[in-house]
Amino acid sequence: MNSLILSNIYRFIGLVLLQGLVFQSIGTGWEGFPYLYVIVFPIFIFLLPLRTPLPLVILLGFVAGIFVDFFYDTLGLHASAAVFTAYARTFVLKILEPRGGYNVNLNPNVQYLGIRWFFQYSAILMFLHLFFYFSVEAFTFVFILDILKKTIISFVVSMLFVAIFQMIFNPRE
Amino acid sequence: MFNLIQLFLRLSGFFVFILLEIVCFTLVVKYNQTQKDIYVNTVNQGTGFFHKTATGLNYYFSLDDENYRLARANAQLMEQIYNIGIDTTAVMDTGFNTFQEPKYTFKTAKIIRNSVNNHHNYIILDKGTKDGVKPHTGIITNDGVVGIIRKVSKRYSVAMSVLHRQMRISARIRSKNFFGLLKWIDEENNTRLFSLEDISKDAHFTIGDTVETSGYSAIFPEGVMLGTIENFELKSGNNFYDIKVKSNLDMTNIQYVYVLENLFKIEMEELENTVKQDDE
Repeated sequence: MNSLILSNIYRFIGLVLLQGLVFQSIGTGWEGFPYLYVIVFPIFIFLLPLRTPLPLVILLGFVAGIFVDFFYDTLGLHASAAVFTAYARTFVLKILEPRGGYNVNLNPNVQYLGIRWFFQYSAILMFLHLFFYFSVEAFTFVFILDILKKTIISFVVSMLFVAIFQMIFNPRE
Repeated sequence: MFNLIQLFLRLSGFFVFILLEIVCFTLVVKYNQTQKDIYVNTVNQGTGFFHKTATGLNYYFSLDDENYRLARANAQLMEQIYNIGIDTTAVMDTGFNTFQEPKYTFKTAKIIRNSVNNHHNYIILDKGTKDGVKPHTGIITNDGVVGIIRKVSKRYSVAMSVLHRQMRISARIRSKNFFGLLKWIDEENNTRLFSLEDISKDAHFTIGDTVETSGYSAIFPEGVMLGTIENFELKSGNNFYDIKVKSNLDMTNIQYVYVLENLFKIEMEELENTVKQDDE
């Protein structure tokens, strides 16, 4: 129980720092190609235990987003997307619910539900997250084509990093 | 009650989601310049639309007051216009101060009763002796002559409309100075058709010439628009043209009029009467 909370806290700190210090410079540094943003911190939301109550998931998403926003200097932007992702997580979990339901004591990770399931799950959430994020960034649907371009390109790269993250850390808890 | 609490608990996630999204968007709009600009712009468009609609509605409620105000302003302007060029000093040396005494005063009045479909049409105005309206003064609007006041009570006054069988207005053709009398053709039941009489057959004019007041009658100043010449004919053996004049003024929908008083009228008439008495 304690290690569960602790590992989530570590993951929180690690992902926010990774996002804020490493990927922040990729997202804004590529001149002439403003479509690539690598966003990995939602993995923290994906891997929250199944037992976590929904309000807490949303609240944690908000906190994570706000911290990332401090690094990006876009107060509220990542937070709004993270809150949306955290809220959407329940519905995605419901859609992808395996026969017999979840074991609420476990985490939605590769060990428990398999690679295929996990990538479906994280792909849907990541796409929603990115789409919401870029929509809020543009703040108008006039640039819907730009939003979609950014979403798709960033989605591919971000998913790559989700896979790498899974391979390196292989989170069990 | 318990069910209600249960419902709240079940929806708590949704409420937290909505609450935090509101917080996020507030932050986004507050601290990010691009989003702030878009937000402000959009909101302004929305509120602009509402303000415009609201102002438009308010405008209708104040329309009556506004009309009255405009009519008053018009009366002041007309007073100035008709008093220009009346040089009452007749001093040749411009070194003296050529003080101009005003000849006409204008008052605004609202028509509270009007008729157009009788042979003798009358107008009732909402101004009377307490507002300084006097009998035998003229009523005009910007478009032309409306009538002449006949009787005045404390608060009201009754005027003879131009659409009255006995109405005669001293008229002339603009810039040609052939003068005659304008009267309403009441047989044709047309509120805009008048006839101009007593224009001698020597006069030359064309269709479309403007007919205006001559200023000979001491009721109306000269140059008030009456209408344009619609057609004319000279019957053989007649010394005068039959001229039909079409009025610019629609008598059926006027609301505000100007009562104009010639301040020198009494003096002029008294003088004229003494001469007439001498001759008799």
